[in-house]
Amino acid sequence: MNRPIRVLIAKPGLDGHDRGALVVAQGLRDEGLEVIYTGLRQTVDQIIATAIQEDVDCIGLSSLSGAHMTLFPAVVEGLRQRGIDDILIIGGGVIPPEDVLELKKKGLAEVFTPGSTIGEMAEFIRNHIIKKGELVLFEPPSQVDHIGIAVADLDQTLAFYRDHLGFAVVHEEDIPDQKVHAVFLQAGELHIELLLSTSDDGPIGKFVASKGPGIHHIAYRVDDVAAWLERSRLAGHRLIDETPRPGGQNKWIGFIHPKSSHGVLTEYCQITDKE
Amino acid sequence: MDKGKNNERKEVFTVSSGMEVKRVYEQSDLADGVDSRLGEPGAYPFTRGVQSTMYRGRFWTMRQYAGFGSAKQTNERFRYLLQQGQTGLSTAFDLPTQIGYDADHPFALGEVGKVGVSISSLADMEVLFDQIPLDQVSTSMTINAPAAILLAMYIAVGEKQGVSMDKLSGTIQNDILKEYVARGTYIFPPGPSMRLITNIFEFCAKKLPKFNTISISGYHIREAGSTAVQEVAFTLANARAYVNAALSAGLHIDEFAPRLSFFFNAHNLFFEEIAKYRAARRIWARMMKEEFGAENAKSLQLRFHTQTGGSTLTAQQPDNNIVRVTLQALAAVLGGTQSLHTNSRDEALALPTEDSARIALRTQQIIAHESGVADTVDPLGGSYYMEALTDTIEKQVLDYLRVIDEMGGAVSAIEQGYMQREIHNAAYETQRAIERKDEIVVGVNAFTVENEKVPELLRVDESIEREAKANLLQLKATRDQQAVESTLNALRSAAKGDDNLMPYILDAVRVYATLGEIANVLRDEFGEYKPV
Repeated sequence: MNRPIRVLIAKPGLDGHDRGALVVAQGLRDEGLEVIYTGLRQTVDQIIATAIQEDVDCIGLSSLSGAHMTLFPAVVEGLRQRGIDDILIIGGGVIPPEDVLELKKKGLAEVFTPGSTIGEMAEFIRNHIIKKGELVLFEPPSQVDHIGIAVADLDQTLAFYRDHLGFAVVHEEDIPDQKVHAVFLQAGELHIELLLSTSDDGPIGKFVASKGPGIHHIAYRVDDVAAWLERSRLAGHRLIDETPRPGGQNKWIGFIHPKSSHGVLTEYCQITDKE
Repeated sequence: MDKGKNNERKEVFTVSSGMEVKRVYEQSDLADGVDSRLGEPGAYPFTRGVQSTMYRGRFWTMRQYAGFGSAKQTNERFRYLLQQGQTGLSTAFDLPTQIGYDADHPFALGEVGKVGVSISSLADMEVLFDQIPLDQVSTSMTINAPAAILLAMYIAVGEKQGVSMDKLSGTIQNDILKEYVARGTYIFPPGPSMRLITNIFEFCAKKLPKFNTISISGYHIREAGSTAVQEVAFTLANARAYVNAALSAGLHIDEFAPRLSFFFNAHNLFFEEIAKYRAARRIWARMMKEEFGAENAKSLQLRFHTQTGGSTLTAQQPDNNIVRVTLQALAAVLGGTQSLHTNSRDEALALPTEDSARIALRTQQIIAHESGVADTVDPLGGSYYMEALTDTIEKQVLDYLRVIDEMGGAVSAIEQGYMQREIHNAAYETQRAIERKDEIVVGVNAFTVENEKVPELLRVDESIEREAKANLLQLKATRDQQAVESTLNALRSAAKGDDNLMPYILDAVRVYATLGEIANVLRDEFGEYKPV
């Protein structure tokens, strides 16, 4: 996704009210998107032709004349008939709430009614264009790679995981730049990573001091950590790592902030050949 | 609250047009000669009102814009509104009608009967005004590009009722320039459009002396996002272009000017709106007298219809809109409007229900009959703030008029996209101000509620489109086809020459040539407008 997201703002039908369409078009431009505006009185076929010719990622349909139930789904249908299903279609205008539900059933991703902000629209478009890209460019993470658990007392913790549960220790190493000693146990398909701080001012040391021992992060196994960090960046996530860095067991890793992953510190983790 | 340096709510207070509002206004804020700028009500320059008695004589006309679905449904709504005490009709047409397409045209798909009533021929118009005596009501028609055709249909309905043309009263909007600028229902390019308009002026001057031949509209310019000053300035620039076109066509100023009428918005800023109407009256009177040499007092009087601002309505907490509309309507009345449409509370969601439309009408009736504001003329006249604001708006409007004049007039300014750009910039700035919460919209970016109940809304039956198509088929099978063709051919030859087209259109309408057929003849001859 190198070029900016490209949006077609279109006025289907005979409606002449284009203040909304024009304001949204300029607002999205100011948000960094590339915007093409069709002008008034476009037929469904004209809108589809422009969308294809301009290779847009998103079509924003605007109608204030009450023709939305006929014209909006006709655009979705027309695109489908041409085998195009990767253009995000959104709508706006004077549209009653019950019609919004119906339009969503008919393939519109969202409908923005009076009072919506340009910020909301831009964010929605960004998030959904990226999600759309996911199907093409990305495989979802293949599995949970490991669960990181911060420990205060390694021996007592091992007594539980190794001796009581019976998981085997498969690997152990110091990770100096994280000021941590890591012990990996095999738990079925995934690893439990016990993290013991080697210094009070390391991240695990601070975590244990403020929250006590417990689950620290979840790591997902992905093909390409760099690509996933970029996806997160585009989706507006707060990144802890801008680029991949080496983690335990010769894996490439990268963290995103728990604020962006709903309270769980999340790691992308990629197995390398060196293992 | 964050207090500015003066311990006030804001650093700077402004009106929509940017003028800074002072803490307090005094005598010294008024330039010399206030009295001559004001004049008496009913006297030049008409700042205080176009009549001497204003609402002491008669209230403004309460004219609710209505129309949806089929001619039959709208006829029922009209008769309901008349029964409820409304004093004039105002017809909303659907978009295919406004753009000169019959209901069976492919471009009409999904639009038939949606924003107004669908009219394809005289047959529909007869149903629309069934049992409504045209000599007893005045009818306003929001129709622009094909105004000549709809006016001809209205005349033909009158003939069938036995009402002669000279008894008909009402208004056609007929303001094509603002369609290019703000509203979008244009058909032909400016040149032939101006010809149709002057044809109507001329025809009506002779045959329909009680009909307002145009309603020069700032309303839609404001809805498109302009400031109050731009609304008046662009409207008066357009008005000047119509006057010039009529003069060039050989009409005398006092022959058509008394039938020119105006249409303004009533937006949120209460005092600015009142001052806007007062300033508009004064500028028009001076323009007509000094620039065009009009002598008939009626030529100098800016008479206007007002509609409350549709774009100020919120979809959130729609009942709040009743309060907004009340304030806006009050501004229109204090500003001396001749007629008024009050919007319904649910119009940010759909066309109004009958209940909502009734509350809107009642709002006007309460202002008229209960508040007492109509008992004296221009009650705010002489207020330091009101006069200072009126003077400032006048000055800013004149500045714009000068710029447009230098560009070669309104048509040229529109062709260069000047008005459109100015309006767009103002609209975008408003949106940004709302998003920054510099402007508060109650229920939208402040004082919101979760999980609102959706009110009951009006739905236009999708079967209207099918019915309208069936009616057209039926009509074409039963009318005198030869008469249709010969009248359309006559119209075509006339369009190639310089004749007034109104009589030709009237002939075609009488034999049930459809709106689309007539508009198509003119499309062939005139071409279609392509926006800049």
